[in-house]
Amino acid sequence: MARRKFLLRFRPNIVSEPVTYLLVKDFGLIPNVLRASINDRGGKMVIEVDGKPSEIAAGMSFLETKGVEVQELMECVERDEGRCTHCGMCVSICPVEAFSVDKGTWKVSFDKERCIACGMCINACPPKAMQLM
Amino acid sequence: MRTYTEINERIRAGEAVILTAEEVIDVVRDKGVKRATEEVDVVTTGTFGAMCSSGAFLNFGHSEPPIRMQKAWLNDVPAYTGIASVDAYIGATEMADLDGAPYGGAHVIESLIAGEAVNLQALSAGTDCYPRKEIETSITLDALNQAYLYNPRNAYQNYSVATNSSNQTVFTYMGKLLPNYRNATFSTAGELSPLLNDPRMRTVGIGTRIFLGGGVGYVSWEGTQFRTTNETVNGVPVGGSRTIAVTGDMKGMSTEFVRALEFHRYGVSLAIGLGIPIPILDEDMMKSVSISNEDIMAPVFDYSMHTRDKKPLAQVSYAELRSGNIDLFGKRVRTSSTTSMPKSRLVAQQLKEWMEDGEFQLTELVAPMPSERGMLPLNVRSPKEVV
Repeated sequence: MARRKFLLRFRPNIVSEPVTYLLVKDFGLIPNVLRASINDRGGKMVIEVDGKPSEIAAGMSFLETKGVEVQELMECVERDEGRCTHCGMCVSICPVEAFSVDKGTWKVSFDKERCIACGMCINACPPKAMQLM
Repeated sequence: MRTYTEINERIRAGEAVILTAEEVIDVVRDKGVKRATEEVDVVTTGTFGAMCSSGAFLNFGHSEPPIRMQKAWLNDVPAYTGIASVDAYIGATEMADLDGAPYGGAHVIESLIAGEAVNLQALSAGTDCYPRKEIETSITLDALNQAYLYNPRNAYQNYSVATNSSNQTVFTYMGKLLPNYRNATFSTAGELSPLLNDPRMRTVGIGTRIFLGGGVGYVSWEGTQFRTTNETVNGVPVGGSRTIAVTGDMKGMSTEFVRALEFHRYGVSLAIGLGIPIPILDEDMMKSVSISNEDIMAPVFDYSMHTRDKKPLAQVSYAELRSGNIDLFGKRVRTSSTTSMPKSRLVAQQLKEWMEDGEFQLTELVAPMPSERGMLPLNVRSPKEVV
């Protein structure tokens, strides 16, 4: 079993396709929708997929044949180090505690491996340092 | 006992002993107040956080033919021009009437300090002496005659902790507050914060030279909402108390210490780095600056309540707030700070280095701050009732 994260971009003509259902039914994958913003003008979805590596690859190829733009994500949320002031507003917002404060330097570190790209921190960051990529 | 003159002589000679308000805590713990007072001349403080009551006076110079600006916009953000013809005040929280990401006076101020070009548009009815009726041009900080921050309320002495009892996320000037007390946010640099280190403002008054936004500034007046009437614990007030109005030349400032902020669904604000040097005149001053986060208390308020008469839910120390969570009704509540400690430290450190290099000397205050001041509410009253 493997777990991988993808950003799916939908054009308006395929927004009504039940893609996550097809991933379960036809490829035996376990998709977890981390973020979705889709309307009749198209949209994007961040999903985490559990399954056999070969099935994940097959599932994503299938989505591409359907016209979905598939981008694998290692990290979905990026921090702009130039904007970050290390205030810590993100720290108590994050549901998976991807941010931690060093009690010596008081700097806030961001663990991209932990991040599930839920986007909770994005509008919580006053200097606008956090961006969903 | 030590005088300002003696301290400044030692600064000029490169002999002054200067510590930050964090560093001095251990010195007092190890050596006691008496010895620490003998050894240390100045303690520097610092803070870097959102200070909404900020803005800048700008003088654009005269156009050919000249204009008496009656309405003006900087990058589409309205500036106040109800003063002389080409003077304006751009407030940090003023917003451009644009679609897209919120953009406000704070962004204009940050852009100017960054040296970027800013669009200026102005309109006028035209007068006999100022015939021009409109202008559109580009300005930079260097192209302005004067550009100085005049911030009516900065460096709050202590502040509230914000939490949310409701079942919906609320977006406030204290940040994003999750439902059902799932987080709490706080501000101030605690033991490093300027006015918490001189709680009765013995050495901070009108004329005090300070670090402001990366440059040199001065305390110009008592800040708006200055109040002395809060409960005091361990010698410092609990909750938002004294404040200062400050001014300083933008031309010496840096975006490292002046940064536009956006509080989602609240608006735009400006983060400012501000530091005050505290002269160790006597043991009383040393006692004040040795205060630590364990001893500074802040009241916790429910920001989902829509009233000015909120009752505090609890009192917590800055040591607890900085630990990452506080205890509220037996529940572990995670905390976030709106004030950046790393930047606050940079401020205190920079101020210390300026003095070590002999570039920054202390000023004795020209006039003291009010020793007592309450805070008045705004009620809806008729002219008869109010007089």
